[in-house]
Amino acid sequence: MQIRVQCGCGESSCPEWAVVELQGVVQPQPSFAGDIRGLHIGRLCSTPSPSSSSKAGYTFTVGYHELAGTKVALKKPLLVLRKKKVNGGDQDPPTAAAAADVELEVIGVIRHKILFKDRPKALISKPPTKEKKTLQSSAT
Amino acid sequence: MDAEMEDAGTQAEIEWDGGGGGADVVLGLAGGAASVSLCYHQAFGPHDDLVLLEAADDLLPDILQGRVTIRGCPDEEAVLCTPSATYAMKFVGTSNSMFLIPPGEPSAPSLRPDNTNGDAVAAAIKLAPGSIELIQTAPRLDKLRNLLRERPYVLDEDLGDVFQNKKGLYTWQDLCELVQASDGEMSDGLNSLSAVEIDGFWRTVDFGSLNTILDMILHNSVLHDWPLNSLPENDVISVMESDGFTHKIVAHCLSIFGTKVDQEGRSFWSLDERHVCLQFARKALGAGNMKLGNFMDKWERNIPSGMRADLQMLEGEVLCEKLGAETWVHAFSVADLPLTPAERFAALFRERSKWEWKDLQPYIRDLRVPGVSSEGLLIKYTRRTQPSADAEPIFTAR
Repeated sequence: MQIRVQCGCGESSCPEWAVVELQGVVQPQPSFAGDIRGLHIGRLCSTPSPSSSSKAGYTFTVGYHELAGTKVALKKPLLVLRKKKVNGGDQDPPTAAAAADVELEVIGVIRHKILFKDRPKALISKPPTKEKKTLQSSAT
Repeated sequence: MDAEMEDAGTQAEIEWDGGGGGADVVLGLAGGAASVSLCYHQAFGPHDDLVLLEAADDLLPDILQGRVTIRGCPDEEAVLCTPSATYAMKFVGTSNSMFLIPPGEPSAPSLRPDNTNGDAVAAAIKLAPGSIELIQTAPRLDKLRNLLRERPYVLDEDLGDVFQNKKGLYTWQDLCELVQASDGEMSDGLNSLSAVEIDGFWRTVDFGSLNTILDMILHNSVLHDWPLNSLPENDVISVMESDGFTHKIVAHCLSIFGTKVDQEGRSFWSLDERHVCLQFARKALGAGNMKLGNFMDKWERNIPSGMRADLQMLEGEVLCEKLGAETWVHAFSVADLPLTPAERFAALFRERSKWEWKDLQPYIRDLRVPGVSSEGLLIKYTRRTQPSADAEPIFTAR
């Protein structure tokens, strides 16, 4: 079986995607559990860099947690590929391409990510016995 | 952080046009005091049809210009092929939350709760479970050899109705579908197998047929006084055609046993002593064991006059064994052995449990593994012992 990897965008105009990466998992508040589409996750801010040589800093505030991170250039770019199921076989004579019922297309490239790997800082101090470790989005 | 993500996939998937993420806003976020609200996209979901592929900068041009294919049968691990190299595809997972934000204008979101900050908005379409890494690998050419050996070309063969029964016959396209190798490596593989394309099918030529054709060329050379180092191509082909051999097969045979020389606009073929003598050696030995003396006699008697038989020529083709006072020889050709290192060494140690370097070297020098040297292969698959400082090192299985 052979699947050609297609790219409609060509080398110079492959759209760049953005990535925000954090360690751990984001949990919506239970009241939003049904459908999270469109739900606000958090606020991403760039911070002024203390000197020209240090990496651009960012904070990401999710609920009452603030994460600190940096923009990292990926050593190897990532390509975003989309699989498509295709109904082949209606070509006459059937070609090898028609026999493969999957197509792959490059729809984007990722060259950087904003990575948060430090421990989150709690913005609201809570009594020690009730310290929660989960991040909550759309907190009050 | 130990909570679980809600399963957004339980809702019906909303049509997604590939955009609406506002990636540019995030990518452009810099300096001080700028901020973006990150939300789940309206069409957020598992989107299993989206995969991330790690591609080093030297691969990007091939991929982005459509020169890359993924090859393999459903029961094989997929490989990615550029025009000249083959890469294994390995999925590497991540435990991090990797939010993928597509390009395009962020759609006017019905944010929950309302975004009153006046921030720009970006939307994540998916959480990536990981990405596919590419590791350069040797092309899987053993399969190519096995396929082509299913039905070698035989002189005067009658293929019957090819459309009814194509068993054992493979076109270039068929081979690209079945063999996990890049086009360039596939061509090299076909060359090493001395394969020839006849009527659209790639074939190896049966041993007996090759002997017949070679014998006929040599016989005609004597008859027509053609020097073996300068056979006139057109004459050879026209004489052989009148003897009933097809142009294509004769030309192919010349290319297996000789090298082409162009002189004053005409093509000549110089027969290679080693290739020709090797063919006669194989014929003389057959499948069994022979006493070395008998073999050398038989071999020398059969080779064309002017050529010289030398045991050195048969490195990697025959093995000699001393049994008592006699030395015996039998055929053992590297061309019949597996191409993957683990299987190659297994086959070698099945034949002999102990190898001296001078005997072993011709049987492993063709092994190619990206990123591994031949010393590396020896260390991985053999145990090296040396009885004393001036004795020959011996290699055994690990």
